[in-house]
Amino acid sequence: MKTLRVAVGLSLAVLATLALGALNVPAPPDFFLLVVADMARGGAAVPAMLAGLPAGLLQDGLFSPGRLLGLHAFSKILVGYLLATVGARTVVEKPVAVGGLLTGAVLVEAATLTFLIWVLRGDFLPPAPLPLAARALTTGVFGGLLYAASRVPWRQRREARRRVRLN
Amino acid sequence: MAAPTLAERRPEIFLAALLSLCLVTLSLQVRRPGGRTVGEGWLLVAVSPFVDVVVSVRSGFREIGTWAESRRALRVENRALTAEVSQLRGELLRLRDAEEDKGRLLELFGALPSPPPGTVPARLIAVESSGPFYTALLDRGASDGLQLDGVVLARGGLLGRIIALGPRTARVQLLSDNTAAVGVLLTHGTRSGRAAVAKGDGKGSMSIEYVPTIEPVEPNDRLVSTGTDGLYPGGLPVGRVASVRRNKAALFWEIQVAAAADPHGESLVFVLPPLRKSDVTSGPSVAERR
Repeated sequence: MKTLRVAVGLSLAVLATLALGALNVPAPPDFFLLVVADMARGGAAVPAMLAGLPAGLLQDGLFSPGRLLGLHAFSKILVGYLLATVGARTVVEKPVAVGGLLTGAVLVEAATLTFLIWVLRGDFLPPAPLPLAARALTTGVFGGLLYAASRVPWRQRREARRRVRLN
Repeated sequence: MAAPTLAERRPEIFLAALLSLCLVTLSLQVRRPGGRTVGEGWLLVAVSPFVDVVVSVRSGFREIGTWAESRRALRVENRALTAEVSQLRGELLRLRDAEEDKGRLLELFGALPSPPPGTVPARLIAVESSGPFYTALLDRGASDGLQLDGVVLARGGLLGRIIALGPRTARVQLLSDNTAAVGVLLTHGTRSGRAAVAKGDGKGSMSIEYVPTIEPVEPNDRLVSTGTDGLYPGGLPVGRVASVRRNKAALFWEIQVAAAADPHGESLVFVLPPLRKSDVTSGPSVAERR
């Protein structure tokens, strides 16, 4: 079930990223990170990391300019582990907190990527602060909204509306 | 608080494995300016200690081989040098012996400046004592011109006479033999000597009897052969007085004589031809017999 969920999530992430890229939307959210974060809910570290691996590889294969296969996989696995660890030790219920956590995750991932490139290529290339901040913010906001939406009891509401119509 | 078990550490182990996999994948893709990938660089760094170990082991084996080879060569050289040292040592001993012989010969020639015709040099190869009998063996015999009753003269003086003769060896009766005797002249100070007979005591030295106590005799008085005994020529050193004491009757001295020539300390001797009858009557000296 989880595998299917990851597969669907990644497919949607690819589609969304491609669509936003085609529309030239500045600072699009990191949809792949959202899939990883979804698997890290409840503190499950191994599923989060296992989701981070294909997510990162997809991101590398499709969207990384340097085509360094494994760069985002590394950062996504690490972020997945960190999110799962935080989820296991704290109770994150409010969407704002989830959004904040995702914002921080984007920043951690950016730092990890910078560090990796520095280690591998020998060049210290920190990302531009404003685009990074915008991306972190959009990811946090979008993730918080998704989380809030996922907590709404859509079925009960639909049932209630149907009962109201029938009456 | 108990340390977490391996099962509890499963996520961390999983994380480390996945990150390592990614890192290896990345390192194999990134090329450094030298054309080598980062992974190759890391691999070389990781492998270099093993390479160093292999190189060290190989060079160690090579050094051991070199050491063994040089050790073998050194042993061979050592063996050759040892043999050479032994040979040189033997040669040195021979040279020293020859040098000593030369010294002895010079002393002999000093003692006997003009040896009479028929004098034969010989080497004293053994000294034997059997009870009261004292003899010595020479390395020359009849084939070398030695004759019975030939007079044997050592560096210090008279040693004895030949009593048995073989083709290549000769047996000498030493003066210390119990059955040996020689006519001697006792010289005290500047006075002319008194004739006496020195007899072997069978104990390695000689003694003189029947010298009246009215004759002045003192230790260190010299004894030379008289040449009147028919065996030994006159004028040869025989020994010196070692001790003097009166006998029981108090009429004669009991004189102990220290031989002039020690057979144990001599290796080279001269063998003079035996005394002729005509020589006995006149009692000639060695120099006169030439």
